Amino acid sequence: MDINMTEEVQNLLKDEGFKKEEIQEIIEKAESNGKKLKHKSEDTFIAKDDSENLTTYAVYTISGEGINLNNVYSHKMHIDGLTGGELHEVENDDQSEWICQKCNETALERNVDMSYMGVTRAGPAIVCPKCQEFYVSDGVAKTLKTAESILEEKRA
Amino acid sequence: MPAEDYAPINQDWLEKAGNLWTTPWADTPSERVTVDPIILSHAASMFRKSPGYFYKNPEEAVRMVCHTCELYDVTPVGHYLYADYWGEDYGGELKFQESAPPGMQKRPITTPEDVDNFEVLSPEELAKGPSFTRHFRALDTCKEEYPQMFAPITQLAGTMELATNWAAIEDVFMWMITDPDLVDKLCSKAVDHMVNASKVTADRYGANVMITGSVVASGDLMDREQIKRFSYNPVSKAVRKVLNEGAGPGIYYHLCGNHSDDFDLWKDAPMSPFTIVQIGYDGKEIFPTSKLVENFGDRCTCFGTVDTKLVDRGTPAQVYEQAKQQVLAGKDSPRGFILGTACECPTNAPPANVHAIVKAAKDHGKYEKF
Repeated sequence: MDINMTEEVQNLLKDEGFKKEEIQEIIEKAESNGKKLKHKSEDTFIAKDDSENLTTYAVYTISGEGINLNNVYSHKMHIDGLTGGELHEVENDDQSEWICQKCNETALERNVDMSYMGVTRAGPAIVCPKCQEFYVSDGVAKTLKTAESILEEKRA
Repeated sequence: MPAEDYAPINQDWLEKAGNLWTTPWADTPSERVTVDPIILSHAASMFRKSPGYFYKNPEEAVRMVCHTCELYDVTPVGHYLYADYWGEDYGGELKFQESAPPGMQKRPITTPEDVDNFEVLSPEELAKGPSFTRHFRALDTCKEEYPQMFAPITQLAGTMELATNWAAIEDVFMWMITDPDLVDKLCSKAVDHMVNASKVTADRYGANVMITGSVVASGDLMDREQIKRFSYNPVSKAVRKVLNEGAGPGIYYHLCGNHSDDFDLWKDAPMSPFTIVQIGYDGKEIFPTSKLVENFGDRCTCFGTVDTKLVDRGTPAQVYEQAKQQVLAGKDSPRGFILGTACECPTNAPPANVHAIVKAAKDHGKYEKF
């Protein structure tokens, strides 16, 4: 499976310390087991890899020429589960722009508990209501990066 | 009064106060609960200045706030804001008053057609507008002169507060009955404005702490369904969008007034790792901290409150007693606790009453969880 990327994305990989092979593996795994999000109106997908200290996301499209990698991002905060425990009805519009490809369900935007450096707090995530797989958008990852920096400074 | 006319801030105090302030967010052990009485124009009264002078002079305002924080031994953050932001950016007229915060005199929306034609300003346009220009004069001063007391706050307010800064409150409330879809439209524009305003602060300072919530949309003026439709839902949408734009991470849900019938909705409002929920009143009584912690303690930092009417008109003993009850009920809340006032510290509150809140935190707010 070939991965195509612009110079901008190549630089992003370099700046963030990702290897192309790692990202390729994340995408291949998602393509084989179907655990990925698909945008409601575009042929864009999000695949992820949870390791102990880092969750990495790849945003990509598929064309006849292979995989086009559009964005890569990560966060160190570990998602523990839904804030408040269980998935229950909420009275705000929590439908995300994403569909869980595996379950064919519209993913919801919900608060999840996130832990980092011994601190657990809530944060916003995209959650499949059926398989309860959690994802984070690129914008929220940026927000989490700021939160992580603050915790690193304060907990040092 | 220029910066050099103030006595230097005691650095030992600042370090200690900073540690108290960090605990609710980062679970770092410290001695006791921090107190944030939301000092704004009250600081002016400490320097024999008027609220009008305070709001017309943002650089001086933030200096006065920072030094008043030291004087009272409270949370070291240089606030500057008022309720009626964002009206003049869209062509309204803001009047500076001598004895009260600035208030909207003329609003940009007067007819339903104006709502349709109302165009939300871009982040670039907002950054140059009068609200941010004034706001950044204060924040830049704080960042330069009191860097350890700086927080990149944006006074977003909620969708109903924006709606009633853009159109007269009586018109908005009439439309809620006669043409609720029009108010939906107005609130939807408020959502876009909130996102754009957050982007401005995040771009300027690298982070953003949004003050939002529900003030006009409280139980004394609106019922639960109205609050849900015109405040909770659009505010949730705005906060979610802001976080998805990377323009967080701070969220301060300021639920001013009576929220007996809608407080539970906010348990599911979008949260970030740095979220505070503050609820003013439960009916006519101060919102019990025990109820706040029971509902929000496992979700975010709880901001327990002392009745601002009591701080303004009560005795120090009455203030102390209420602060004591609130701090005892909240101090070991799992995700942090702050003791403060139900809303802004009244301009002419007796200093002894503000001190009584701090004294209660010192006497009864020692953490047991560390």
